[in-house]
Amino acid sequence: MEKIQNRLRSSDKNSMMLFLIAVVIFLVMGILEPSSFLGIKNIQGMCTQLPEFGLIAFGMMLAMISGGIDLSLVGIANFAGIVSASIIVRMGGGGFSILAGCIAAIVVGAVCGCFNGFMIGYLQIPAMLVTLCGLQLYTGCGLMITKGPAITGLPEAYSFLGNGMILGVPVAFLIFIAAGVVVYFLLRSTIYGQHVRYMGTNSMASRYSGINNLAVTIKTYMMSGILGSLAGLIMVSRYNSAKTDYGSSYTLLSLLIVVLGGTNPDGGKGSAIGVFLSVVVLQLVSSAFNIMRVDSSLKTFVWGVILIIVIVAEQLGNKRRMRNA
Amino acid sequence: MKERMKRGLTTNEMIVVYIIFALCVLIGVVNPAFAGVSTVVTLLRSMLVTLIFAAFEMLVIISGGIDVSFPAVASFSMYATAMIMNASGLDHVVIAFLIAIVIGMMFGALNSVLIVRFKIPPLIATLGVSSVANGATLSFLGSKEINRLPESFGKLSRVFIYEYAGETGITYQLTVLILIPMIICIGIWILLKFTMLGRGIYAVGGDKNAARVAGFRVTFIQSFVYVLAGGLAGVGGVTYMILMRQAHPQVLMGTEMMVIAAVVMGGTRITGGHGTILGTILGVTLIALIQNNLIMLGIPTYGQTFVVGLLIVIGTSITSLRTKRIQNSIKI
Repeated sequence: MEKIQNRLRSSDKNSMMLFLIAVVIFLVMGILEPSSFLGIKNIQGMCTQLPEFGLIAFGMMLAMISGGIDLSLVGIANFAGIVSASIIVRMGGGGFSILAGCIAAIVVGAVCGCFNGFMIGYLQIPAMLVTLCGLQLYTGCGLMITKGPAITGLPEAYSFLGNGMILGVPVAFLIFIAAGVVVYFLLRSTIYGQHVRYMGTNSMASRYSGINNLAVTIKTYMMSGILGSLAGLIMVSRYNSAKTDYGSSYTLLSLLIVVLGGTNPDGGKGSAIGVFLSVVVLQLVSSAFNIMRVDSSLKTFVWGVILIIVIVAEQLGNKRRMRNA
Repeated sequence: MKERMKRGLTTNEMIVVYIIFALCVLIGVVNPAFAGVSTVVTLLRSMLVTLIFAAFEMLVIISGGIDVSFPAVASFSMYATAMIMNASGLDHVVIAFLIAIVIGMMFGALNSVLIVRFKIPPLIATLGVSSVANGATLSFLGSKEINRLPESFGKLSRVFIYEYAGETGITYQLTVLILIPMIICIGIWILLKFTMLGRGIYAVGGDKNAARVAGFRVTFIQSFVYVLAGGLAGVGGVTYMILMRQAHPQVLMGTEMMVIAAVVMGGTRITGGHGTILGTILGVTLIALIQNNLIMLGIPTYGQTFVVGLLIVIGTSITSLRTKRIQNSIKI
């Protein structure tokens, strides 16, 4: 009982810390640049930007909880985006074609994810290797379709997904929230969620306790692929074009978000709320940088530093907890 | 005897040799211009820098880790070296290499502190360091390429150890820089084969606890590997700069995937404990061969990423499956 309480407290602590960081950034930026940072435009802008890497981060989290990693998500996102864009353009850009394009993208994401899961779960190739190769493979698939240049000429209606608003809330943000709720529910209240966590903690033990590791792995990577394809759809809609090298910085970013959100890089532990909060924090930092007109390459530097500091702090905390116990 | 020969013919290295041979025959049949000295010279030139990276990446993977920060570290040391040399007026290649090695080793030390001292998973630690190094290069050093390099660099890049005049009058020249990866490979071969430290790297990659119980200094060995990798990344960066006659802060980024794939194709187990330098050289040769000659097979430029990706997926699957089978068979 005490153990459970401890665990609850520790996971809450991480979320609390992130929440506090978010509040601090809000306050500091609110005092420094009240008009531009707290303006409704900036907040809407942030909500439009964050779903892309937020969805990828959810996918990465699922893979990481299962004890693996998914580095191919950006490749899947672009590939899915390209497939949907080319379908929409070929079919003339009507309402039906947009629907077909979106469905095709999600199918592509699911298939790519299944492929990853099959290679990892059935052939037992390390997840990192499979998804690293997958990134190349899916980017290559996308490149085969576009032949290099971006696909353009998407209908106006399609940009609703990435730039549209419902009652002042960006549609992309709503999709992100919905995906977050689904992931939260899956991890918290389904058998699948329990199984993923078991497998991530100790795959051998989970197999001997009767869990079908292969099925769980494939499901996990499929889900992660679908989340990637959603991110791809939003990206295509936001840029109004599809290309293979959009969002190439998101791999590192999503890793950073997931680890910052309290997911254990060795698997077995992670929460959707933590990841959601860390997505928000990262977006706040990024947007603060933009308003302060800081060079975007400095952002890469700062993110790297944050990533290292957070993990080191976590490891030190773990050590202390172990000593106390 | 027969058994031994059979085993010798089905090692990972031999399989890569078969694939390389088959590919050469295929390309040669499709395009007869392929068979010639010129192809070898071009191939060696394009392998040069990759081979340096692959050699130390193999060491890191054998020790049970992974290093994805080397392109960023190499870029940083390349760029910083060029800036230091230009600013101070020093003009000697050896000094350039020393500066780059020192810078690279500092990043390697950072990696090793994070991985060995704080026990951060190597992939995540080196990803973080990669982003720090890359961000630092772009925001603190500069984002434009440097074309004005010390004269000794230009001089060295015009020294050739072998020249071949093609029938069409084009001369193919093999730069003297090819000696650098050769020396590194021989050095690593000696290290792995004949020193206690090298055997320790295998031991640590195979089973860390067993290695400790057997008396290896695990912490030291792991730190050594990452620091060495950093230093050699610096060497790779400067070699690239001399070869291309310019320092570019971004050009090496994104090569980590190819290098890791080459190492794994050469039979190094991604989980650590196994790998040979010969296999790595063959893996790099295979990848370079594929990348250089897909055009000759009539595959358009936009299809190359896909084909290379597919070949890597197949190659790594085969080696991974083989290791799995070998591991299973040993237990019986």
